[in-house]
Amino acid sequence: MATTFTFTSPSQKPPSFLPTSSRTTPFLQSYSLPRQIPKIPSIFIKPNNRKISRSRQLSISVSALSKLSETESVTVPSDSELIPGIFPSSTGVYAVYDASNDLQFVGISRNVAASVVTHKKTVPDLCSSVKVGVVADPDRTALTQAWKTWMEEHIAATGKVPPGNETGNTTWVRQPPKRKADLRLTPGRHVQLTVPLEELIDKLVKENKVVAFIKGTRTAPLCGFSQQVVGILETVGVDYESVDVLDEEYNNGLRESLKGYSNWPTFPQVFVDGELIGGCDILTAMYEKGELANMLKK
Amino acid sequence: MASRGLVTRASRMKTKLQSALEAAAIEIEDVSYQHAGHAAMRDSGGATETHFNVKVVSDKFDGQNLVKRHRMVYDLLSDELNSGLHALSIVAKTPKEAGVSKT
Repeated sequence: MATTFTFTSPSQKPPSFLPTSSRTTPFLQSYSLPRQIPKIPSIFIKPNNRKISRSRQLSISVSALSKLSETESVTVPSDSELIPGIFPSSTGVYAVYDASNDLQFVGISRNVAASVVTHKKTVPDLCSSVKVGVVADPDRTALTQAWKTWMEEHIAATGKVPPGNETGNTTWVRQPPKRKADLRLTPGRHVQLTVPLEELIDKLVKENKVVAFIKGTRTAPLCGFSQQVVGILETVGVDYESVDVLDEEYNNGLRESLKGYSNWPTFPQVFVDGELIGGCDILTAMYEKGELANMLKK
Repeated sequence: MASRGLVTRASRMKTKLQSALEAAAIEIEDVSYQHAGHAAMRDSGGATETHFNVKVVSDKFDGQNLVKRHRMVYDLLSDELNSGLHALSIVAKTPKEAGVSKT
């Protein structure tokens, strides 16, 4: 039956542009936030103003999301390995309660179970039980909306923002580690060094817990082995220094000096506590056996 | 292909490692082609025989940590490292670790 022709009515489509005025204030009125709430910290207001540009999507809202008060609270096991079996590894909002059942933090996660594992490890005392609201259509707007819904419900009920969500509280949200700059050994190739390069290397590896001498920069390694080393160190999440042995301007002569210093003929080279632990092969082997994490914890 | 004479670097490496380590097993694979494009290699004008995977099983690794085992291999190959060998991926095991029953 090929007799039906369907035309999409243009009027059903959302307008392809929005008047500027609607970008700034669209859905505040669709929002029954009790206005008597005392000070709402800025962290709470800001997402509103920024997320508005796609106001059409706000109507999607989170009808499937239960109210915070009606969501079942699940006890977090003390053995964090059990967490993934109990909590969903899906995208959604979650609310963390301490042992006195006080709400500590409401978060958004692409993998709720993984976030709970992290929180349980970093702040075990505050992490007694968790409520999870899986967001079915997890685009950013829907997630933000879900988070706001729970936050507002809590604020309406208690007049307080969960302590972990207060501005400036970094207990729960780890700031993404900023990519450090690669270290330079010398002020420049034309500057006469007053000490031998070996001494500078010695000082560097002894003053820093973890130093990786790599080819290229940590943001753009120029050799597969160096890339792998950077990848492992980033994955382990250790704070490390990197030195680009190919930087002829600021690390001129480093390759030869380092080979002599460490008695190791190739790069990359990774030092921990002033000792060479090896190159890519050894680091990889240690990482795979879990020895690296142990060594770096000390 | 070989940079010196008719013998490939791989076979020279094998001979050196075999005799010094009395290796129970040696595998050497030339993987230079995988690295032909990277920065240091472009500068050296298309050198060959620069990158190798080396697997050595030897009793002499017994009681040595990985750094020492790798150093033993590097030391034996220092001539090669000074003549264009650029990088090695090393697996150095004792017969016990490698699960080789015959000793």
